[in-house]
Amino acid sequence: MVAVAEAELYLPSSLQDALRVLADGGGAAVPLAGATWAMRAVLRGEELAARYVALSGLDELRTVEVAADGSLAIGACVTHARLGEAVADQPNLRGLHDAATKAANAAVREAATVGGNLSVAAFPAADLVPALLCLDAEVELARPDGNERVSLERFLQLRSELAPGTVLARVHVPAGRLRTAHARLPLRVAGDYPVAIVSVALDVAADGTVARAAVAVGSVEAVARRWPELEAELVGKPVGAEAAAVAAKALSATFHGREGIEAPGWYRVSVLPTLVRRALTALSGQEGNQ
Amino acid sequence: MTIELTVNGETRTVTAAPLTPLAEVLREELYLTGTKQACGEGFCGSCTVLLDDAAAPSCLTPVGMAAGKAVRTIESLAPGMSELSPLQQAMKDADAVQCGMCFPGILMGLTALLARQPEPTEDDVRTALSGHLCRCTGYARIVDAALSVCVPAERGV
Repeated sequence: MVAVAEAELYLPSSLQDALRVLADGGGAAVPLAGATWAMRAVLRGEELAARYVALSGLDELRTVEVAADGSLAIGACVTHARLGEAVADQPNLRGLHDAATKAANAAVREAATVGGNLSVAAFPAADLVPALLCLDAEVELARPDGNERVSLERFLQLRSELAPGTVLARVHVPAGRLRTAHARLPLRVAGDYPVAIVSVALDVAADGTVARAAVAVGSVEAVARRWPELEAELVGKPVGAEAAAVAAKALSATFHGREGIEAPGWYRVSVLPTLVRRALTALSGQEGNQ
Repeated sequence: MTIELTVNGETRTVTAAPLTPLAEVLREELYLTGTKQACGEGFCGSCTVLLDDAAAPSCLTPVGMAAGKAVRTIESLAPGMSELSPLQQAMKDADAVQCGMCFPGILMGLTALLARQPEPTEDDVRTALSGHLCRCTGYARIVDAALSVCVPAERGV
């Protein structure tokens, strides 16, 4: 077992340098971004890696680029705090903004990164995962021999089995005149992990009915996922928080809540209708594509 | 390994494994014991310091990643036990401090907030305090004291 005193830290000069060291290190070298998860490995009873490759000092991974059409390219080492600032003025990204600015606490948001939040497979309560799932985000994987884009949904399946030398470099969020919201339930405001998270993105037609709906649920199961049954229920109807909550209650048996120290599984599922109502209420006042 | 840090404006050289929490190095190597280590998980806020002027949980910051950044601890607010910072003075005047375990972290978190946002709302102050667990007070005097240094008339400007 690697002790804290033995673990090495490599500070790469570029992303390519980092990828090379990670590839050469095999499984013994792992990427490190904000370090807020890795620094608690010992407390969780987990083994440390022999070598950590620190990515957070790489400027090429620390930018948020907003294209003319409104699409985003978010560097993997952008912190929650910087992401919140970057999207603060984008009305279609209220959900992503709330996910970035309400996760954890102020100091952790200054360190914890987008890439880390998406990459840690053992962290079911990551706020950015459902917020980006309902925006149809893609992730850009960097490898020594080139980059590849995959859907975030696919990445969540792949992330535990990535070949050494593969790093999440950027997150791409397509443009869309959506109404979005992010509802989370921590048991206390003071930085607790949320018991459950509901992120919603709606494309509302000129007649006020929902043309397309995306709903993603985090923290309830081990991995966040979309809620296709509820999405289908919302489409073609006016935006209505109460009706959505009733539909959510009828459809929540599709979730199998995970047991956890802060809440039992049944409780996580039982709060979903309330979170759906809160999310729909939050976005009902937004101006979308009407 | 040998790591060079800039702490409270001074260059300090420490010998530590790079994944050692910055909080531990500040306390055990540099004897800056104002920074408290409590939960070790980034939940309680007692170890909050400033890294390049932003609040940072020093228990979750590997010392190797603090190299090249400006580290500020509670000791920098009133160097040499001289005049207290306006925020510290306001806390003292409001009798806001009880056991004091959480307070260095609270002061650093609020110092970061006020540097970024000199006239925050009460909601801003409460949001900044949300990662600081105080089990003695009800936060009311802390919030009032923080807001008092933001009112231009009371700052004498």
